Amino acid sequence: MYEFLEHTADLGLRAFAPSLAELFSEMGHCLMAALLDNPSEIHARQRFRLEITGTNPEDLLFDFLREVLYRFESEKFLSNRFEVQLHPQGLTADIHGESFDPARHVLSHEVKAITYHELRVVQEGSQWLAEVIVDI
Amino acid sequence: MSKSAFTGPLERIDPCCVRIPSWYKQGMRVPGLLFVDENLLDQCRKDNAPDQVANVACLPGIQKASIAMPDIHWGYGFCIGGVAATDPEEGGVICPGGIGYDINCGVRLVRTNLTLDEVKPRMRELVKALFQQIPTGAGQSGSFVFTEKELKELMARGASYCVGRGWGVSHDLEVTESNGCIPDAEPDYVSDRAISRGKDQCGTLGSGNHFLEVQVVDHVFDPEVGKVFGLELGQIVVLIHSGSRGLGYQVCEDYLVLFRDMPKKYGFEIPDRQLASAPANSPEGRRYIGAMRAAANFGFCNRQLLMHQARQVFAKIFQRSWQDLGMSMLYDVAHNIAKLEEHSVDGVKKKLWVHRKGATRAFPAGHPEVPEVYRSVGQPVIIPGDMGRASWVLVGLPGSMERSFGTTCHGAGRAMSRTAAVARASGEKVVKELEARGVIAMSQSKRGLAEEQPQAYKNVDEVVEVVHGAGLSARVARLRPLGVIKG
Repeated sequence: MYEFLEHTADLGLRAFAPSLAELFSEMGHCLMAALLDNPSEIHARQRFRLEITGTNPEDLLFDFLREVLYRFESEKFLSNRFEVQLHPQGLTADIHGESFDPARHVLSHEVKAITYHELRVVQEGSQWLAEVIVDI
Repeated sequence: MSKSAFTGPLERIDPCCVRIPSWYKQGMRVPGLLFVDENLLDQCRKDNAPDQVANVACLPGIQKASIAMPDIHWGYGFCIGGVAATDPEEGGVICPGGIGYDINCGVRLVRTNLTLDEVKPRMRELVKALFQQIPTGAGQSGSFVFTEKELKELMARGASYCVGRGWGVSHDLEVTESNGCIPDAEPDYVSDRAISRGKDQCGTLGSGNHFLEVQVVDHVFDPEVGKVFGLELGQIVVLIHSGSRGLGYQVCEDYLVLFRDMPKKYGFEIPDRQLASAPANSPEGRRYIGAMRAAANFGFCNRQLLMHQARQVFAKIFQRSWQDLGMSMLYDVAHNIAKLEEHSVDGVKKKLWVHRKGATRAFPAGHPEVPEVYRSVGQPVIIPGDMGRASWVLVGLPGSMERSFGTTCHGAGRAMSRTAAVARASGEKVVKELEARGVIAMSQSKRGLAEEQPQAYKNVDEVVEVVHGAGLSARVARLRPLGVIKG
């Protein structure tokens, strides 16, 4: 589950999930919903693999989201499925999606960057929670 | 993440300025100074932005005060409207968060000799043509595509590169901050990723609060300065607001990652990770400065190419050359940047890194960095407001050198979150409301238009009143929007 948060100038992304791996996937979807008015129009036609090293969950999330954003910025790649696996050295993600198609995809926000500001990845009871502010 | 109100101490110094004493927060090296009147003070308490002013006061080497302009609002790390000057000789840091992702986001104002009566009947046609010619919106490619080699030359030379290729004239450079080129830029310190994001984005407007507006001068407050600036009542002007696009965002991000460990390496503490900094004189700090300058030069080129395209559209619509239409540039000024400048601290002249995060340089008459043509009156300051009400032209005053490191405000400042704005009115409704006010707006994103609606902003007139009253910059002319294109 994901949602947008109130922020005066920019946009906050928040997600909840039962595991850290699913939390990363939800945050990936939330980022797509910030970029696109109709994220349900993204189809899995291609995929790429992302490897990120690190142990701090917040740094991992930051690096994960900025890689997903960079793929959109540089190759116009939109994603609709994030298969994330965490391991002691970091994470591996198989990311499925397709190239932006102006005939079908309606752009929403230009996300300039993922920020560290008030970045949070925490476990609350049986749930994981993540929050990040993106610069619009 | 909605913010609780700021409940800390705010001591009034004069009707336009309050102080956050340095005892408010552990680690503050200097007090905070906020240029706000009583009305704006209530607004700025609401989103806790003064706490961010206090955080910035903790940066190593900061001089005199951590300053905020009346368009202050909650940012990330620095508040928007923040000014901080650090002394590199005292371990002063360079802080990418104090510049922002959009390095050299700024504004450029272009005159015309057209009048409201001449333009009004053709307004829709003009706005449509601008919207078709000028790439707007998220991730849009432009018609100017550069090779890596060309892009590096562009970043080293700034706007003079564009003029050299025929996309402008030398007068454009004379009336651009730093003549459109920050010296000692280091394009080799700009990552491959940043270059790949920038190669087709020079000459594109982008999204968010960026815009190109056709406006009319609807009030001249200072006819003498107005004359020097070439502004008169009823005149049509073009205002461009954009920055360094994906290239600049990537430079900021790259160095925030590099700076993650700098506080530990150089032995200082910061209260917020988004304030990651490095000593300006350290190898890492110097590297960022070189890359930031290169991105800033890209920003000047972006606005140069946007203006070039706007001139072409006007020439086509009015069937006269842009020179014939009097489309000479008034000024171009950055509002997200850090520059090494000489300022006086307790009577001692020092070279300081002045960070302006949503704040505009406002040098007074006589300053050697003010273009010769304006030096007798002071530097033009361009303040974009919202797309329904007004924008402003101000002039720098000596008070800015005394009180705010030669700086004034940069805009209206947001008053409403993006989600709250969308809840208030849809994009379609905003277009209708704007039309009722006589403004034609075209945007790639209806949601973007709703987020940027006039009601989402503070009243820019109130913001300008404070900087005028505080003696930072003086009112010259008020500009009213007629046509808007946005991402």
